[in-house]
Amino acid sequence: MREINNHQQSAKGPVRYVPRGWLQRFFQVRELPILLYIIIMMIVFSISINGFLAVKNFENISRQITTIGIVSVGMTLIILTGGIDLSVGAMLSFAINIGGQGIVQGWPMWVVYPFMLLLGLALGFINGFLVTRIAVPALIITLGTMNIYRGILMVITKGRYITPIPSAYNALGRGFIPFIIFAVILALFIFITLRTRFGRNLFSIGGAEQSALYSGVPVRRYKMIVYVISGFLSALAGLILIGKSGFIQPQAGTGYELNAIAAVVIGGTSIFGGSGSVLGTFLGSVLMGLILAGLTMLAVNPYWIGLITGVLIILAIAVDSLRVLRR
Amino acid sequence: MNDRIAKLRGIGQAKTLLILFIVNAVIMVALSFLSRTFLTYGNITAVMMRMSELAMLAIAETIVIISGGFDLSVGATMALSGAVAGTLYVAGVPFPVAFALALASGAGVGALNAFLVVALRLQPFIVTVATMTMVRSIVYALLKGNVLTEFPEGFLNLGYVYILKIPVIFLIVVATAVLVIILLRRTIVGRRIFAIGANERTAFVSGIYVKRIKFLVYCLAGLICALGGLLFTARIRAIIPDAGINAPLEVITAVLIGGTLITGGKGSVLGSLLGILAMFLLLNGFNLLGLNPFWEVIILGIILIYVVGQESISVSFRAFFARRKAARSARST
Amino acid sequence: MISIEHVSKSFPGVQALDDVSFSIADGEVHGLVGENGAGKSTLIKILSGIYPDYQGSIRIDEQLSRFTSVHDAQSHGMATIFQELTVIQELSVAENIFLGREPVRFGGILDWGAMRRRSSEVLEFLDAPLDPRTLVGRLSVANQQIVEICKALVLDSRIIIMDEPTSSLTEHEVRQLFLLIRRLRERGITILYVSHKIEEIFEICDSVTVFRDGKHIGTIAKDKTTADEVIRMMVGRSLSTMFPSRTSSKGELLLSVRGLSRSGEFQDINFDLYGGEILGFAGLIGAGRTEVARAIFGATRLEGGELTLYDRRQRSFRHPQQAISRGLVYLSEDRKGEGLMLQLSIRENMSLSILQKISRSLFIQSSKERELVDSFISKFKVKLTSMDQLVESLSGGNQQKIIISKLLLTEARVFIFDEPTRGIDVGAKYEIYKIMNDLTSEGKGIIFISSELPEVLGVADRIFCMREGRILKEFSREEANPETVMRVLLGGTAA
Repeated sequence: MREINNHQQSAKGPVRYVPRGWLQRFFQVRELPILLYIIIMMIVFSISINGFLAVKNFENISRQITTIGIVSVGMTLIILTGGIDLSVGAMLSFAINIGGQGIVQGWPMWVVYPFMLLLGLALGFINGFLVTRIAVPALIITLGTMNIYRGILMVITKGRYITPIPSAYNALGRGFIPFIIFAVILALFIFITLRTRFGRNLFSIGGAEQSALYSGVPVRRYKMIVYVISGFLSALAGLILIGKSGFIQPQAGTGYELNAIAAVVIGGTSIFGGSGSVLGTFLGSVLMGLILAGLTMLAVNPYWIGLITGVLIILAIAVDSLRVLRR
Repeated sequence: MNDRIAKLRGIGQAKTLLILFIVNAVIMVALSFLSRTFLTYGNITAVMMRMSELAMLAIAETIVIISGGFDLSVGATMALSGAVAGTLYVAGVPFPVAFALALASGAGVGALNAFLVVALRLQPFIVTVATMTMVRSIVYALLKGNVLTEFPEGFLNLGYVYILKIPVIFLIVVATAVLVIILLRRTIVGRRIFAIGANERTAFVSGIYVKRIKFLVYCLAGLICALGGLLFTARIRAIIPDAGINAPLEVITAVLIGGTLITGGKGSVLGSLLGILAMFLLLNGFNLLGLNPFWEVIILGIILIYVVGQESISVSFRAFFARRKAARSARST
Repeated sequence: MISIEHVSKSFPGVQALDDVSFSIADGEVHGLVGENGAGKSTLIKILSGIYPDYQGSIRIDEQLSRFTSVHDAQSHGMATIFQELTVIQELSVAENIFLGREPVRFGGILDWGAMRRRSSEVLEFLDAPLDPRTLVGRLSVANQQIVEICKALVLDSRIIIMDEPTSSLTEHEVRQLFLLIRRLRERGITILYVSHKIEEIFEICDSVTVFRDGKHIGTIAKDKTTADEVIRMMVGRSLSTMFPSRTSSKGELLLSVRGLSRSGEFQDINFDLYGGEILGFAGLIGAGRTEVARAIFGATRLEGGELTLYDRRQRSFRHPQQAISRGLVYLSEDRKGEGLMLQLSIRENMSLSILQKISRSLFIQSSKERELVDSFISKFKVKLTSMDQLVESLSGGNQQKIIISKLLLTEARVFIFDEPTRGIDVGAKYEIYKIMNDLTSEGKGIIFISSELPEVLGVADRIFCMREGRILKEFSREEANPETVMRVLLGGTAA
């Protein structure tokens, strides 16, 4: 085989990118570069900020990233199959606001919580149904459902907060509990995407849907499932949010979709689908959380955070497009 | 048979416009019956003014989508121009210069989008999500989170200026729309924009400089958004950091409702404007009737999904009923 | 034993298979040859279950079978290895082998042990040293192909169809593949080996079937025939009435290319094109002709060599517009993907390359546009209702006329036509040949690329044979005949 630069080539046929040298090989393992960024960030921040490495600080950071992180896990699954879900914030808000009406009605907590989760499942189901049955891009569908869900919840709640809330609802937001829930979800879905038939098949749907279909993968069913999961996880994140803030507001979850997509993309999952990892998404949200926390402590104008997030996203997709084998 | 279908598709655009016209007319008639204040001069000019900035964004977005692209950063660019103009003016820069620089900043955002999409070949959706966050962040930083009201009197009073009884702000929007329509339908560049959206490879092989035109499209869109932002600032006599934060969704919905294909190659500025008009009429109607304005958002979402998927939806329905029928007759035999 | 009986299939405008009947014996390696468009891929798709809709019948082991889907075909023991591989890059070898039927333990958890074991078994049987855990994306094309074969084996396939399996393989890899095929045959698996490479057919197949123009020409055992005879069956047909008569007169030198090269695509291309002549480029798919054309035209970058267009020498065109403005135009082989804008009107399609000519400063003069478009519509007698009709409603032949009109409007002098009559009915083909003749009689020059040998022989004044990115030989019209040309194209030593 001839080798020109890094491109290995059969006598005739597709050119494949073969990484040369340790640096390029480094970039081939999806999660390594981002782990490196995180380590660099931590070093930089701990040098320039006193108390950055304190435990209390980590507690702060973990709380920042858990709610968005949980939503990001669901988003990862959807993006792996080549779809997208813009309605996660709306589903979160819907679940806790409409479910929260139960609190107002005096329902006990063991009814309210499952009710909220059920709402998330239902909304996710609607998304999945529309995406798999109508030939409209998931982008447009979830754009529409995002508006619909928010609209309905606004009409029902009339824009009013739900407060006060019995202190029992703070349980999920206190201490390390959010982090533990996040860790459990992460472990579960890392396992699913690495070791179950369902999880592995998601890669095939995103990578080459036609082949997957021909091979007997139940594409439609699996796509439906990932949207339902996203709905569920959004509702779950909402439960934690209630615990953290102590009240329920209709604006909850605003901007979550963008942050989730950012975490997923920065974590190395390809926006085209077919490759990526839940672990990467975790690292992506950690990185974002770190930067957020670090910049806040450095008393950097918090408004620059958006700029940095945007730059990170662009870097991530640029790297991703370079990694794709040249066809 | 094929010819008839082809002709129908060809006038499909006209059909969509007609439907939009009718829908708008119906809404207006209904509202004028249901509310005393709808057809008043005050109300009509108020609607005209309020839809100005979204209309500008819709014009910009239409151009981008026709060319096969996508731009979510429209709202942020709109806010940026106001912020830039205000900040520079407060810093002592003469207003005309600040105004020009504000417009340039919009074009600059467009250029950034263009660079990432065209030169680096990244997906427009994700790129403009990133630039949207970046620009919004710059807006917050410039305004330090505050509302800015320091602008020259003449500028702030633009909202009160009327020519022939029509708000001048609205006239500027109309003028922009007319210019863009002429650009798209009558000029060489416009034809090329449609070509690129319809089939980029064909356009390239036919000798069109695809990269240059896409660059132009994004920059132009940024410029129009910037102008829209300045009109917005004049109208509400201030610039707020959250300006346009919900805009992308409303604008894209309006553009798609208006008959522009998400894949590009077909579209209508007039359709997008009618879409925006319909949205505002509904909103206005809800306000006048004391209904919760959030019904508008719900209806928009449903319309969006339906319009983009209408063919597919009716095919699915027919298939579903056909299967039921077949199953039933199979059972009965 | 597969018995194909009177199978026919047509698509709008073209009869892909015409009353084809033959049988494939159990456990043999059966070759299927024919030129492009002969019907091979249609038959493959029917056998794979992609086209459930056809006339005629297919029997497998005496049992009448009509596959309603790919899944259906697979469950009847049919597996197909397509030319474009269908493996999932991000998954491992074992996961690809078991895609859609992964062995699972309780709760949907993959049974990796079983997967690894059975994958290793199959890989060992094929003597392929692959680790089941490797990501398929990291493997060479040859190995990816092996993974696909493993997949077929694990499905307990009894019939494996291989469609041009060696098109991306090195010599060495081809040897490996043949060893593999022999092993499969030992296991009693029947293989349908579809290829246009005669020497391979003769090496690995037990018998061979020849298709031509959708018809079955013959099925014969390998040791009862020769490569020459097979070639004759592939190409022989009467050429006389299909092409308009042609007188060529050599005009001035229009285009001259020397030493053109682009790594991985073609090398050392030299030729001259004179006004009034049609230069034919014959070759099989993958020979590199389209790549040469696109590089000359400026759609891709030439890496080496230079070209001289009407006396001006240059390294290459940087953009198609440069070529077009100097009078060199290109008709793409991918009509729908690169020749037309389907959602736009006929008028808009036709005027795309001459927008400046029909405008005054920035503005398009609608009347001028209509005038020019009209002139070509009537000149080529295109059947349509109105020029504002969408171009996707036209037939293939008419669509092609629109694209040719688009090129002619640019008043070019050098034309590169890449597979201009592909997918077009016979009547329209004739009209296009006539158009080409008219052009050359006006002193223009045409580079004509086609994979249909009779066409090249019937139309071109000189014929270049390309194979694997090189020009092997030049024939003049008088010297060329189907067998000699095909032999050059296929290369190697024919028996």
